[in-house]
Amino acid sequence: MAGSDARLPGKSWGDSSESCTVLRVTVNGKDVKASVPDRLLLSDFLRDVLGLTALKVACGEGVCGACTIAIDGEAARSCILLAVQVEGSEIVTLEGTNAIHGLNQVQQLFQKHHALQCGYCTPGWLMTVYSMVKRSVHPDSGEVGQYLSGHICRCTGYRNIGEAVRQALAATNDRGAGGEE
Amino acid sequence: MTVDNPADARPSRGRRRYMGQAVLRAEDEQLLRGGGGFLPDIPAPDAAEICIVRSTHPHAIVRAIRKERALASPGVIAVLAANDLDLLDDALPCVDMIPGTLDVRQRAIARDRVRYVGQTVALVVAENRYLAEDAAALVEIDYKPLPPVTDHMSAADRDAPLLYPELGTNVVYEVRQRDGNADFAARDGGLVIRKRFEFHRQTAVPMEPRGVMAKLTDNGERLHVESPTQLPQMLRTVLAGALGVRLDQIRVTAPRLGGGFGAKEMVYPEEILVPAVARKLQRPVRWLEDRREHFAATTHAREETIDAEAVVAEDGTFIGLRLKGWANIGAAYGFVGNTPITAMGAMVRGPYRVPNLDSHMFSVVTNKTPLNVLRGAGAPQATLVMERLLDEAARLLKMDRAEIRRRNVIQPGELPLDRGRTEFAGAYSVLYDEGDYPRCLEAGLRLAGYDCFETERNEAAKRGKLRGLGISMYVEITGVGPSETAHIVLQRDGTVLLYSSIMPVGQGSETTQRQLVAEELGIAIEQVSIRQGDTDEVPDAVGTFASRGAAVGGAVGRLAARELLKTILGCFAAAVGCDAAALRWECGGVKLPGDAAEFVPLEEIPMRLALFRQGTAAEPEKIEAKYRLEVPRPSYAYATHIAVVEIDPHTGRIEIPRYTVAHDCGKIVNPLLVEGQIVGGVVQGIGEVLRERLVYDSVGDLKTRTMMDYVLPGPFDAPVEFKLWHMETPTSFNPFGMRGVGEGGTIGAHGAMANAVADALRDYDVAVDGSGPFNPTWVMEALQRPRRA
Repeated sequence: MAGSDARLPGKSWGDSSESCTVLRVTVNGKDVKASVPDRLLLSDFLRDVLGLTALKVACGEGVCGACTIAIDGEAARSCILLAVQVEGSEIVTLEGTNAIHGLNQVQQLFQKHHALQCGYCTPGWLMTVYSMVKRSVHPDSGEVGQYLSGHICRCTGYRNIGEAVRQALAATNDRGAGGEE
Repeated sequence: MTVDNPADARPSRGRRRYMGQAVLRAEDEQLLRGGGGFLPDIPAPDAAEICIVRSTHPHAIVRAIRKERALASPGVIAVLAANDLDLLDDALPCVDMIPGTLDVRQRAIARDRVRYVGQTVALVVAENRYLAEDAAALVEIDYKPLPPVTDHMSAADRDAPLLYPELGTNVVYEVRQRDGNADFAARDGGLVIRKRFEFHRQTAVPMEPRGVMAKLTDNGERLHVESPTQLPQMLRTVLAGALGVRLDQIRVTAPRLGGGFGAKEMVYPEEILVPAVARKLQRPVRWLEDRREHFAATTHAREETIDAEAVVAEDGTFIGLRLKGWANIGAAYGFVGNTPITAMGAMVRGPYRVPNLDSHMFSVVTNKTPLNVLRGAGAPQATLVMERLLDEAARLLKMDRAEIRRRNVIQPGELPLDRGRTEFAGAYSVLYDEGDYPRCLEAGLRLAGYDCFETERNEAAKRGKLRGLGISMYVEITGVGPSETAHIVLQRDGTVLLYSSIMPVGQGSETTQRQLVAEELGIAIEQVSIRQGDTDEVPDAVGTFASRGAAVGGAVGRLAARELLKTILGCFAAAVGCDAAALRWECGGVKLPGDAAEFVPLEEIPMRLALFRQGTAAEPEKIEAKYRLEVPRPSYAYATHIAVVEIDPHTGRIEIPRYTVAHDCGKIVNPLLVEGQIVGGVVQGIGEVLRERLVYDSVGDLKTRTMMDYVLPGPFDAPVEFKLWHMETPTSFNPFGMRGVGEGGTIGAHGAMANAVADALRDYDVAVDGSGPFNPTWVMEALQRPRRA
């Protein structure tokens, strides 16, 4: 995990007079303290400073959902937040939901239903499912569509994603919320 | 070498069958755990970051570039323009320049003139991306604006501003395709239908933008370039020429692609510039495209105008088609920028007889981003033209829409059918292979409930909704050549490793190719691994495009496995001192001769061969095989698509209650992945005609620069119900009977959706002559049109 160095790994900020702030957050259950440039995007902080590259930057303006993470349990877009805005929060990225080996239950359902092709948007969908599971969204509720409409996938045509998500919600509803941590 | 004996004619062997099995993708595990392996995920701690300064003018002379303020900005390492980069050859390749074509190949970087918004002008190299962007804003470029031309029809005018004054014209490419008798005319009681079709400008928008990394290796002797490209081998060749180095001094690796759809079937300016910067500065550099620059700097697609004249007999049979068309190819050639307009003549007739054809097409340069292929190349436009003409003829002749297709569709007995010479995709002549188009049509009609549709329309009308149904068929050139290679190795641990020429773009090529090798050797798929996209490992390859991944790439991999098997038997024969003919390969291993008839499974073969060698001076031989498959003729996939749409006249929203596809892609390797390709392709096609549109303003600036402006189809745009039926007619044009399937979904959707929208609005006097997009604004305007008598 990052120390209190303001530099991105190997990426010097030169002699620039970047205004920096000390940031304290919990990321995937670990406490992180780092001095970060005020203008550093949360997505860049997670990917480049902490090396958590599961989240993807695709649109850069909060439209497509590929950069989705969970902040205090809620799905959020990391590409339109500054790192300093999440001071004191609890952040979960896809890495934090992975099983030690292989695939967790939601991931298995995505594989089984061929709910991914190129896979670039997939981590974002999985984090939205993570927050739906946290909120015990019922698989038949109208809320499901609202959650899913926050994501763009160019490959699958959405049908298989919808199927995988509903099955994931049904499976996790049965055994109570909590996800796959 | 071509294959004389299709494998499926041989007796089956082996303990495992994989052909036609819905094998889950092994590559999913890495992707689902977030270990994607895409270019931006590859650690590059030492790489300086590049931000590209792009033209803000559609057409201008570059009088001066002032770098001083940018160079003084914090963390800046260099600011480089054309003259700083020592490129030996800065022309990017275009492979569809037929004789007579004017040379408007794109240059890697602007020298004295810019021709589109987004063109590369200078590069800023800095310690990180933030600092590079700060400095890029400080590069001052002195432009002298020239009059821009964005509309291709006015660009073709004699007095239009010229993009390349030295050529004297903006019309740079011309292709003619004729078949049958050119002097065809209407007979008594027949019809002549004349229509102008407009196709709007779109772009693929793969979820992963582009990017390039480059660094010197081997004490500065070699350059390692990483780029998510569908054509790594082509990039290596072009780069060697641009930099004036030997081929073996360049290694290109393409990581996994986050979608391609044709947008990455191109050698881009940045793929030349970023390596040139690495060489100049002697340090690793990286450029990652952001979405805003992606919309201007990644190739566009589809824009063209087609004037069509259909001559139809009284009984509904099409006598002939006269077509004249103009593609708006933007400021320079893409890698295959003339291919879409060439496809019009080649593919417009699809599965319909139409014995006479005269097609005359042109490419016109304009001050827009270069045009290239997008899923389906020009076939979606060609299909839409034919299918709209069929529906229009049926309407005028008061004939049933299914019936008019029945009267024109080619019968199985007429196949194979030579449809004439073409310049399209190296096909040389369009020669349809085996198929049953009428059966495909009837299957689609039945599955879609065509006969009961009027009841459905009336029920919807009672709810105040306008329901329409649209039929579309196509025949698509797939699995194109000219050739492909594969290399396969038996590793010491008894597994086989396939070096493949096909890139993983999301289509599941890792899994399908491993399935084919496992099928051939009769082993478990887990015993097969695959490597793709590294020119050090696969120096020669044609690439990943034109629905050739499984059909051509998969076939050559399987044939390489067949060669490997012969090599293994040869090694055993030499080791035990018998005739190779005495050995048999069965159930995934070697059956040794003799009374005991001992069986050695694949996983024990390397060890057994080593034991044979013990005590001898023999070197362990490398057990491997290479295969080159010549593909003299592409194969032809076909399908029937039937869309049912429902329009809400209060909001203009179009919903799709049902979408039906009956298709034939020959032998299916993996039905799960085939379905994924079709459904995904259909939804992409639906988005193209309902939502997506690139907009240039009157002075040539691109207005759609974000995913907010350029609306992609979302979950609510997908059909509510999807019906799919596979026909599996093997083609004799492929060693394993396979045709391509990657693009058909998108191709069929254009014609089916346009016809469905026109049908829903049949009471209104509205032209549905092109790709729309049929967004709510378009629909609301259409509903203001007068009612048809």
